[in-house]
Amino acid sequence: MYGYSGKILHIDLTTRKTRVETKPEAWYKTYIGGVSMASRLCWENIEVGCDPLSPGNPICIAGGLFAGTPVPVGGKYGMASKSPLTGFIGDSLSGSWFSVTLKRAGWDGIVVHGASDEWVSVFIDDDKVEFRNASHLVGLGTTETEEAIREEFGDDQVRSATIGPAGENLARLANVSNDGRKAGRTGQGTVWGSKKLKALSIRGTRGVRVADPETLLKLSYDILQAAQGPHTQKYRILGTSSNVLNMNRLGLLPTRNYQQGVFEGAELVSGEYLHEHYKAKTIACAQCPIACEQVGHVKEGPYAGAMGHVEYESLYALSSDCGVNDMEAAIQAIANCNEFGTDTMSTGVTIGWAMECYERGVFTQDDFKCEKYPEGFEANFGNGEAMVTLTEMIAHREGYMGNLLAEGTRRASAQVDEERGTETYKWAMHIKGLEAPGYDARTLKTFALGLAVGTRGACHNRTAAYDPDIKGEVDRFSVDETRGGLAKSTEEYAAVYDTLPLCKFIRRCFTGKADRAGAWPAIAQLINATTGWEFDYDDVDLIGERAHTIKKAFNIREGWTREDDHLPYRWQHEPMETGPSAGYVVTDEELEYMKDIYYEAKGWTKEGLIPKEKLIALGMDDVAEEIGV
Amino acid sequence: MRIQVEFLGVSRLETGVKEIALDVDKGATFRDIVRVLGTRYPALIGNVIQPDGETLQAPNILNHNARRMVQASQMGDGPSDGDRIILMSMSAGG
Repeated sequence: MYGYSGKILHIDLTTRKTRVETKPEAWYKTYIGGVSMASRLCWENIEVGCDPLSPGNPICIAGGLFAGTPVPVGGKYGMASKSPLTGFIGDSLSGSWFSVTLKRAGWDGIVVHGASDEWVSVFIDDDKVEFRNASHLVGLGTTETEEAIREEFGDDQVRSATIGPAGENLARLANVSNDGRKAGRTGQGTVWGSKKLKALSIRGTRGVRVADPETLLKLSYDILQAAQGPHTQKYRILGTSSNVLNMNRLGLLPTRNYQQGVFEGAELVSGEYLHEHYKAKTIACAQCPIACEQVGHVKEGPYAGAMGHVEYESLYALSSDCGVNDMEAAIQAIANCNEFGTDTMSTGVTIGWAMECYERGVFTQDDFKCEKYPEGFEANFGNGEAMVTLTEMIAHREGYMGNLLAEGTRRASAQVDEERGTETYKWAMHIKGLEAPGYDARTLKTFALGLAVGTRGACHNRTAAYDPDIKGEVDRFSVDETRGGLAKSTEEYAAVYDTLPLCKFIRRCFTGKADRAGAWPAIAQLINATTGWEFDYDDVDLIGERAHTIKKAFNIREGWTREDDHLPYRWQHEPMETGPSAGYVVTDEELEYMKDIYYEAKGWTKEGLIPKEKLIALGMDDVAEEIGV
Repeated sequence: MRIQVEFLGVSRLETGVKEIALDVDKGATFRDIVRVLGTRYPALIGNVIQPDGETLQAPNILNHNARRMVQASQMGDGPSDGDRIILMSMSAGG
């Protein structure tokens, strides 16, 4: 095979043994790589019904088809396990040199089983696997850990994926870090912590064999040229945080725990303001010519020295959603999450919920006692220092509040409601347990559907259904019969990119058009030049449907029902009072109707289950046997 | 008639201004407004506005009164006196 080694490495932390599994070419043609292959590995290797923090939940890593090749933005990998936040599939992506070394070491994927008694790091040196004591790394931040490991080996070509204190402390919001990039959302780092796996390091010294190097080089060069043009200008110059003002103008910027969609302090936490006052540099993922990541640096004041990787999704969560108009506090909070290894979005939204509870009298200052503030502190909206302190408390599970919020919004609200007889679940902004993204869905009706049915919960990246709403291709304020098909189409479109994986920011750089017609033929050429296969438009399109289907199948096997496709209470029952989105909610009738037409568009039953014949047609016969109806 | 034009993102960096009041003829279309902006701010040409001077470079788009995204097929429509036009670069994900 070209483009693949054909080998999956299995590592058992309980027995400290390894084995190599070979996969047939047909398996690779079906699952390709990234989130699809990682989810498939999870399907094959999990103990069905297990606690996500038990040894039966594997960490499944799948390389990128284009990692280690010249293809721009192809230096990514996928990771999957059963999410400690949702209890369903937790699939993450990360761009990094880790993905490249994984490929160069000769592995298409890695499955980590079991759990270690002591803190361990695993070093993969091409074919060799070494279990190393990691007790000296415990307590270190994510980049500190990466640096310490590189120094131990005296080799800067050793690339590591690591967890920080949040993962060690089993904060359910923990992520995995590599080169400053994160495999985020859904608590992958928590699963690592449950196995006492502090780091996974790889040195890869081999090349990657591709079928047609000359063609691949030419295709890659053309994409590289386009990626330096206007299609990616916004990302290169301002990064994603330029969306703060866009969303604010549209009345969609999550503000004070999604109570409003317009934030009066938005200018002060905008991408434009960051660019003018705090931008230190931009950073690129491996193989990326775009370099969208804006690094903010605070030079003076109480947060002097803080450096944070500022993305829009991190910024809304740790500024407007907490009512904070202080960019310096936002950068410090983001920097804390980066180093402690917590997901910025889940952390910020959970803090927003806690601040609303404080303002409504559910919490008092006493609930916020910690070492830094022994008498507790006021946790009102707009209090940047409270927000920063809570990022520290969550990662370390410090005090009552740190321990509570480390559970994530769904569990925290359920616990408080049981302890205090309150109804804070009404302010808990999550779907399936995953905290909501930076687009208020009350007036993004297609997006609301995409989030509700999302296999990993409230994730904008997996659905992409914000696109037709925000760009005005449909009336975002209303529902019609097209939304089921649109939600299907956008989630499967996104799944193609997440499976190869390629960063979606490249989507206009093939032909200038980001739609399927503009991108799929070019992507087929890349696949064929890499593998020697003969993929066409339809084959590329099927990548997305298969990727989404294996994740859905995983959820069904873990007990998913139609009721799990829900929205946060607030989006259904509390209209905003001001701004362009004022007066709107997603009604029960709208949501249930959209779910009906979505399931129909997918070819599923009214209850959202998958017919056997549908799975067989996708080449997933064994899945059909287990969960097909 | 007079409209307000707000610049966000790259267009703000290129023009150096956040917002302007723009006097245009009654009946002016969105395409006319893009043409006027390109003339007043030549730095927008090539980055935000295509070299023809009247077509926006994707993903830049006009928003009308914080409510409607003006599609390419709607550039022949126009605003009313007192309306607000926002020039934004709209895309997300990654």
